[in-house]
Amino acid sequence: MTLTQTKKPQSLQKTLGIGLTLAVTLLWIFALSGAVYVSKNKLNELFDSSLAETAQRIMPLAVVEIINREDPGQAQQIMSFKAHDEHLVYLVRNNLGQILLQSHNADPAIFNQTLLIGFNSSTTHRFYGISAVQNTLHIEIAEPLTQRRAAITEMAISLLWPLILLIPLCFIGSWVFVRYSLRHILAYRNEIESRGGGDLTTVKVEGLPTEIIPIAESVNSLLDRLQRALESERSFTANSAHELRTPIATALAQIQRLQQKVSAGSIQDDMGKIETTLRGLSSLSEKLMQLAKAEGGGLLSAEPHNLISLLQLIVDDSQRSHPAKIITLTLPNNREYMSAIDPDAFAILIRNLLDNAIKHGVYAQPVEISFSSKGILNIVNAASVIPTETLLQLRRRFVRSNISVQGMGLGLAIADAIVSGVGATMTFNSPAPGQKDGFEVSVDFSTIKD
Amino acid sequence: MRILLVEDTEGLGEVIQDQIADEGHAVDWVKCISNAEASLSTTHYDLLLLDLMLPDGSGIDLLKKIRKAGEATPVIILTARDQISDRINGLNAGADDYLVKPFDLSELSARIAAVSRRYAGNPNPKVYIGTLEIDLTKHIISRDGVVVNLTAREWALLEAFIQRPGTLLSKSQLEDHLYAFGSEIESNTIEVYISRLRKKLGKDQLETVRGMGYRMGLSGPGST
Repeated sequence: MTLTQTKKPQSLQKTLGIGLTLAVTLLWIFALSGAVYVSKNKLNELFDSSLAETAQRIMPLAVVEIINREDPGQAQQIMSFKAHDEHLVYLVRNNLGQILLQSHNADPAIFNQTLLIGFNSSTTHRFYGISAVQNTLHIEIAEPLTQRRAAITEMAISLLWPLILLIPLCFIGSWVFVRYSLRHILAYRNEIESRGGGDLTTVKVEGLPTEIIPIAESVNSLLDRLQRALESERSFTANSAHELRTPIATALAQIQRLQQKVSAGSIQDDMGKIETTLRGLSSLSEKLMQLAKAEGGGLLSAEPHNLISLLQLIVDDSQRSHPAKIITLTLPNNREYMSAIDPDAFAILIRNLLDNAIKHGVYAQPVEISFSSKGILNIVNAASVIPTETLLQLRRRFVRSNISVQGMGLGLAIADAIVSGVGATMTFNSPAPGQKDGFEVSVDFSTIKD
Repeated sequence: MRILLVEDTEGLGEVIQDQIADEGHAVDWVKCISNAEASLSTTHYDLLLLDLMLPDGSGIDLLKKIRKAGEATPVIILTARDQISDRINGLNAGADDYLVKPFDLSELSARIAAVSRRYAGNPNPKVYIGTLEIDLTKHIISRDGVVVNLTAREWALLEAFIQRPGTLLSKSQLEDHLYAFGSEIESNTIEVYISRLRKKLGKDQLETVRGMGYRMGLSGPGST
């Protein structure tokens, strides 16, 4: 058995945000290291220069001081005029290493035991030594390294502080920038995500980055091919329906003519049964083709249509086919509700809901249809209360709430397939709202995307 | 009524023709657009029953053509195409009604009657002429409250007058109304049916204008 591990998709926005932040941070650290390194060298040069300059300035004064003494070999410590931190300390020694002069805070232990010329360092101090009077006097100045280190550290910290602010700012900035740059791609994604299964219209490519446009165009091309394939299938279904309906119509008309010619009796009863069978065959073939269309997609049209005028036409037609049935239609005053649902899909939906109401409603009671200005269709018929568990199953194929009524249990399944395909919503209520019994189907067309 | 049926399916066309003829109408049945155009160019029809998918073209195109020519003949489309877009196209092209196959023959008869009433300017199925009360839907006529039985041919002749109340109709017009192409008509057939109608409805109901023809609806008071 082989196990395949699928890698979790990465967010482009997150990847770019983190990547850009990391890159900027690393670049900043690299630049900071370089700045610290260069500054450290320059500071050392500066401090060394000050050290040498100080030694060369003190040496002549020390020579004069020592020569003018009564006892030149006696050691002397220079007292300070005023209390202060003494960063630079010095020793003036003769060529034997005897201390002749020292600054007030100088600790001889930190100095080199041998008399060295020029710069040198110990672990704690930096030294500079020079000789004078034919190498009989030697001065050595010491400077603690902590001072240099503190200066460099302070400089490095002052450069690091912005980085602490820079990291979150860079992350937020790059996040906002990436999000702004990807806004058209995100809009493209949202448009595709929000589509119902029946929406095969092309997606807008305006504003997309040039790298994404070929993908979007390929998707549109694919949608177009799919749309054409579905239209071809629909055309085939429509033609098949025509081919199937015509012989059924012929057989039905012929049997009706025969019934007119024979007197009442067993032969006419048999003919009545044949007529019923033919009607059932006609109805079943029609429902199956409607279901195929409803589940086949292509349920939205590129152009919006006025659902109210279509509804009027369908209801008028249904009233003519069922002259004995009272059908009431309540419409909003503006008589216009534009929607992208395909007119043929809408007609199939309404016919099935209406047929369901007429077939399963109480015969003598009216079927009440209303369409609101907000795009909500309600069809109410008188009926006994349908249990909730039965209501939940009515969307399934071949399920009927009332088995005593002739029907195939496909009408509401077809309606459900169309409603789901176009992105509308359909609810069943029993008892009908505001009544003790009855059945109501409510379809909200406002959720269909234009 | 003189009706032109355009239907290419042999069995269905035959049954529709028989059904309508039994109701007293004269039906000419053609199976393609070219024959339909030929019939329309030579004969006045009161109604056209039109299939859409015909061997030499679309019925919609024929409908558009006759409407463009200013022809106001009522048209009922009989088709297996049940999509609402087809129906809208048909009605936009000038059809008066649209019946999807398979249909009941009784529904076809009712639609024919409804369309012809609409064209006669009186959509009400009940017509009152003097002492006559005529229910065009149920084919019931009563004279002074007494039901009178008419044959299909007598009904067809009566309908011709009801559709054109007060209009003088010539003998040849009435023959065209009652008989299809190829029907054998006796020279005195119209006179025979006029005579029968007068006996059943009253001799004053139908007026003879010598050498010109016949008319109905002027003699009876309170005609509606």
